[in-house]
Amino acid sequence: MNQALAQSIPGRELIELPGQGVLVRGTLHWSRPETEGRIGIAFLNSLSMPRTATGDSAVYWAECLANAGYPSFRLDLPGLGDSGGVIPAELLDYINAGEYASVVAAKVKELVERYRLSGLVLVGHCAGTVTAMYAAVNCTRECKGLVLMDPYFHLPQAVRPAVRRGLSEWALRSRFGGLLSNLYDRMRTVRLALRGNGLPQNANTKLLLCWKKLVSSGMPIIFFKAPARRATGTKPRPGEFDYLSYVLGVAGPNNQVQVKFVEDTDHSFANRTGRAVVARDTKQWLLQIAPPGEMEEVVLPSPHGSAGTHEELKQLQLNCLHG
Amino acid sequence: MESPSSDVRLSEHAGYLPVAGVHLYTVLHEVENPVARVLLVGPFASARHNAYLPWVRWARYLAGRHIEVIRYDYRGVGESTGIFEEMTFDDWAEDIEVLLAWLQTRPGSAPLVLHGLEIGALLAGRAFHHGHGDALLLWSPPANAHRALRSTLLRWINLERFSRPADDRRTAADYIQELEQESFIEVEGYRWSRALWRASEQIDLPPFMADEESASSACGRPVHIVQLERQAAPLVKGGFVGYDEAKDFDWLFAPNCDWITASSRRVQGMMV
Repeated sequence: MNQALAQSIPGRELIELPGQGVLVRGTLHWSRPETEGRIGIAFLNSLSMPRTATGDSAVYWAECLANAGYPSFRLDLPGLGDSGGVIPAELLDYINAGEYASVVAAKVKELVERYRLSGLVLVGHCAGTVTAMYAAVNCTRECKGLVLMDPYFHLPQAVRPAVRRGLSEWALRSRFGGLLSNLYDRMRTVRLALRGNGLPQNANTKLLLCWKKLVSSGMPIIFFKAPARRATGTKPRPGEFDYLSYVLGVAGPNNQVQVKFVEDTDHSFANRTGRAVVARDTKQWLLQIAPPGEMEEVVLPSPHGSAGTHEELKQLQLNCLHG
Repeated sequence: MESPSSDVRLSEHAGYLPVAGVHLYTVLHEVENPVARVLLVGPFASARHNAYLPWVRWARYLAGRHIEVIRYDYRGVGESTGIFEEMTFDDWAEDIEVLLAWLQTRPGSAPLVLHGLEIGALLAGRAFHHGHGDALLLWSPPANAHRALRSTLLRWINLERFSRPADDRRTAADYIQELEQESFIEVEGYRWSRALWRASEQIDLPPFMADEESASSACGRPVHIVQLERQAAPLVKGGFVGYDEAKDFDWLFAPNCDWITASSRRVQGMMV
């Protein structure tokens, strides 16, 4: 007799979203099986990474947020991880052009409907943030917020020329290379100043438009920034365009954008410090924007036997969370 | 641009297998009347993430040619549960035993091929040496697991240097000293323990598996060993993330699939 593979184990369940002829596979983390009326969290792939992310950091975050009362889904987009479909030959260009947006928006709606959620917060890291932003515009009713880890707003090259890679490595290893690298940064700073801090030619204008739409609509966004090479705090490397200042500048007065600089981590946020800070700050932010008990239509019985008020229910769930 | 959309419903079943208090994430690429069954023993820890897409494509390639495949995540890694730093090579060897036992319960008989990549190749080779499987396919087995870990560590240190200020850059020797003196260091999001680092020196293949001829002869079963070159990235280290996953792997998949089919037929002939 063949022992069947279990689809779920305590706190986790493997899911398939077959809607619209596109099979997306994923993992649901939950602390309580009932998801109705809750705000869910959906993690998207970072470039070609499987849904576990670097060092399985997405598993950690999903578990933390599930334990805080938010059912958390980690999804493999079509062509990635365990999902069906073929990976696009130019994956980075495909993502930067927002080509995953419609399928993600469709899957968000599918998740909200299937699990009767009151909405979803999209979480992206690096290229995943690009997909999250594009998708959010396509499902503003269901998308309740964005968690963006080291987003970028330009069109990077998928493959850097061998000469440039060689030069970068040499600059790291050699003292003379380091001096030349400093000189290069200064030249770029001058060039940037001469350009009057206008958007660089390789800015992703389509994405920037999408960002403006999101922030002007008051979409809650938490923006995590990791230290970058030769940079301090949230500032970019000398000579590089300061996209963070730019996107905050265009955010308008109604924006609900919070920026968090995470020290002692790297771009992946996968080390202990990075993952702990992201989990902690995301949880706090979620409690502000969407307490896990925020239920619009669902009425749960109160401890007194009758239907509780919204505030009572919220308090109950907060009490549950904090033991 | 090529669209990844697909309406093909794959005959793949993902699920969890219980083992020693944790759960192994397992994906069965199911095939009716398979010519062979292959257990894929995949890349280890952080190498899993880079190699994931071609590894899945390889499983699908085989399944599309009547070869049933089972792939899984080591306990404490990926979708499997458990805490990585608490695991040992014995635990990961036990994962293989559990999966092999599970495969025995699959309906219909077909020769069983063990196939491992890098550290997975060492674990598959050791299981084969202990009498499991009808054939063995090894891709890039390192001299020992320590060699593979060291290579991962050096690559990670190189990447780390890009994100650290010049006065905060540490050498490989610094990290190794830290690993020898402290209990743990973090490499690509995984906490490596001193115990893991030390134990890795003992994880190798039996001497007769140095080449496939002596291995086949000593084990009395077919063995094929392939050293993958850089062009096989990201199945091996190197290449460009987000770019190399999509490239054509037929040059690698086709001959190895042919070898699995041929050796399975040979095994079946011997059985008859």
